[in-house]
Amino acid sequence: MFHRRSMLKWISGALGTASAAVVTLPGGHFLAEALRARRSKAIVQRVARLRDLSPGRPLQVAVVGSRRDAWTLYPEEVIGRVWLVRQPDEADERIGPPPSVAAFTAVCPHLGCTLQLAQPGGQFVCPCHRAEFALDGAPLAEPGRKSHAPRGMDALDCRLVRDSDDDDWWVEVTYEKFEQGLTNKVSKA
Amino acid sequence: MIGQFLNWLDARTDYRALLLPLRRRVLPNGPSWWFTSASCLLWVFVIQLVTGLLLMTTYSPSTTSAWASVHYIEQSPSGAFVRGLHYFASNALIVLFVVHVARVLLSGAFRPPRELIWITGLLLMPLVIAWAVTGNPLSASQKGTAQIEVEANILGSTPVVGPALRRLLLGGDEVGHLTLTHLYFLHVALLPLLGIVLLAVHLQQVYRHGLAATRWAESGRARPYWPYQSARNATVLAVVVTVLVTLAWRFGAPLEAPADPNLTIQPRPEWYFRCLFELRRYFTGDWEFVATLVLPLAVLSFFVAIPLFDRVCSAKMGVVARVFVVVASLGAWGWLTWTSYARDWHDPDYLAGQDEAAGWTRRARLLADRGQIPPDGAAALLRDDAQVQGPILFAQHCASCHSHADAAGKGIVAAEPSAPNLYGFATFEWIAGMLDPAAVGGPNYFGHTKFADGDMVSHIRGLFADVGGDEADELRAQVRRVAATLAAEAALPVRREVDRRETEAIAAGAALLTGKLGCADCHMFHDQGELGSAPDLTGYGSRDWLLGMIANPRDERFYGPEHNDRMPSFSQGGHALLNSRELGLLVDWLRCDWHDTVPSSDTGASPSVGR
Repeated sequence: MFHRRSMLKWISGALGTASAAVVTLPGGHFLAEALRARRSKAIVQRVARLRDLSPGRPLQVAVVGSRRDAWTLYPEEVIGRVWLVRQPDEADERIGPPPSVAAFTAVCPHLGCTLQLAQPGGQFVCPCHRAEFALDGAPLAEPGRKSHAPRGMDALDCRLVRDSDDDDWWVEVTYEKFEQGLTNKVSKA
Repeated sequence: MIGQFLNWLDARTDYRALLLPLRRRVLPNGPSWWFTSASCLLWVFVIQLVTGLLLMTTYSPSTTSAWASVHYIEQSPSGAFVRGLHYFASNALIVLFVVHVARVLLSGAFRPPRELIWITGLLLMPLVIAWAVTGNPLSASQKGTAQIEVEANILGSTPVVGPALRRLLLGGDEVGHLTLTHLYFLHVALLPLLGIVLLAVHLQQVYRHGLAATRWAESGRARPYWPYQSARNATVLAVVVTVLVTLAWRFGAPLEAPADPNLTIQPRPEWYFRCLFELRRYFTGDWEFVATLVLPLAVLSFFVAIPLFDRVCSAKMGVVARVFVVVASLGAWGWLTWTSYARDWHDPDYLAGQDEAAGWTRRARLLADRGQIPPDGAAALLRDDAQVQGPILFAQHCASCHSHADAAGKGIVAAEPSAPNLYGFATFEWIAGMLDPAAVGGPNYFGHTKFADGDMVSHIRGLFADVGGDEADELRAQVRRVAATLAAEAALPVRREVDRRETEAIAAGAALLTGKLGCADCHMFHDQGELGSAPDLTGYGSRDWLLGMIANPRDERFYGPEHNDRMPSFSQGGHALLNSRELGLLVDWLRCDWHDTVPSSDTGASPSVGR
């Protein structure tokens, strides 16, 4: 009698657990999909002609690519914005080496808002918490306190390439995304 | 009949016995206006449930449909009112919560055995805030989307669990469809379930411990709850409902422009987060977590632990301490909030940004009100609107050389103008200015270009050089006819009526252009003249002409490879600076050619082009 009783308890517990597991395990699996970190790919793209850049005057350019949002594929969309800063360089681009250009992602390293050029244009500013950056990307502290930015603007790999058709110099950047809020630059790619 | 039914129901459910303690409930010290905060909070909560359920019948969470469905609600009969009520009641919930907590704190109603009432009540506070935080972005408006992005990133900076929480809130790494479905799930399912569980425990405890003391007290002030306290509750509720209904009726809930990553705004948190927003000014860099995580949790923990502190306080000290806590909390909150708002109100950049965003909102609402939301969703309203995108594209691509500013200098002014001012391009006035010997070589036309001393400038000056008196007046009249002819070539929507009326002047101008005034010596005009030395005047300033000109000014049809000054080719070869959609928007904006062609007064950049 005792055996039968404990056996029935055991069976109830096991069947109940199994029934619950059949529902909750796939449920957890389904939910975990949202938690999975998705790596974003770095994109190499020509973004501007060198002659459209004036030394010391930053230019914002768009990186265009395809983007998938759950069930929708956007074939051609602005997927990122880049600030290009041509270094004030007196060398003539036709004879000497091409001048150097720096590229920074326009995503603020603090909380990810889009960095703007402050008027009248000597620095970058974040519209959310007013973190400011010099044209070389370094964070500028407000008087008496540290900057909101945990690090400087994230520089992107950037090179000058010569177009074989029109013989123009183009700025080519490797666009990638970085984790926000960290003191060091960690790529999401 | 009804009595019979209730008897039948009671025989089966015994509900009268269950409600008996409620009906017999007695307030030992009599009714008080103080006690009204609880019932008021409960009924506003019920208003939220009812209005929320109503909104659920129409709302659709996805980046393509969210804004459109909310706009649809706004246009539905009483939709704006129901949504307004939901919006203002959500804010009222937070205000009433603070009042209720202060009341409970001051009256010492947290004391044993009511600790669970106190704790469940306090835990409902972050829940109500989370409810508002998940509700605001559901409209997929610019402001709501920017807010949830920043809030998710703040959540993401929490150690260890942050990134996972962020992804759970956003439904992935970026804001998208799943962000809205997740927020919606939290807002209408998970948070209400949690809230109802907490509320059930809270009310069960109130019921249980409230009744423990309800015997007819000896004091003469004792009164039954019903209807002495109930009447007071109903009075306060009526006042609150009146305020909410007035606000909902008068103002309604805001609906900003649909979110568009290309239109940047300066997002600010809602009023109840302004204190934390301000606080983080004092904790920058590595210390930021103090403002975003440590202090809010510390304050909540402190409040939860108040029954413990109360035990070690003497009765007299306890009263002083509680008054101090209430005054200090409200004071600190008020001061931080005020400082934050005051800073923004004194920031011209911020105010200009708000103005710009308000303009986008008006424009999006106007286009949506006309029922023009396309299948790709409301974001396309502004994305494909020349009036909104034109100035942005112009500032980004053209304004390093060209200005677009009226005579008063209002509009987009190039830092170092080195090309013509394109304000009112191809209008009668603009062309007449180009044909004016005093203006053609000036700063608004060729003054800053390599054509400053070119054939065009010298030809116009030459025409007027040796004439005077009546002859000069006659020449001026002829030039005006040529301007009318060229303006008609542009076929600007704002001039459609004038072009239709003035067929004679236009025909006369065409004859002068190819004949006496000698324009066709250099320019091609329909079947007269040749290409190669100056831009084609056939269809000058028309959509097609401008598209071609901006795409490639080095083309034979325009300046040609030799004569072109510094203007880049914006859409030629493999790597276009402007894609065809952007090019079209820019051209439409330059030509004031958008859905409602009459330029509205609220956009500073749009030229009012008249006769």
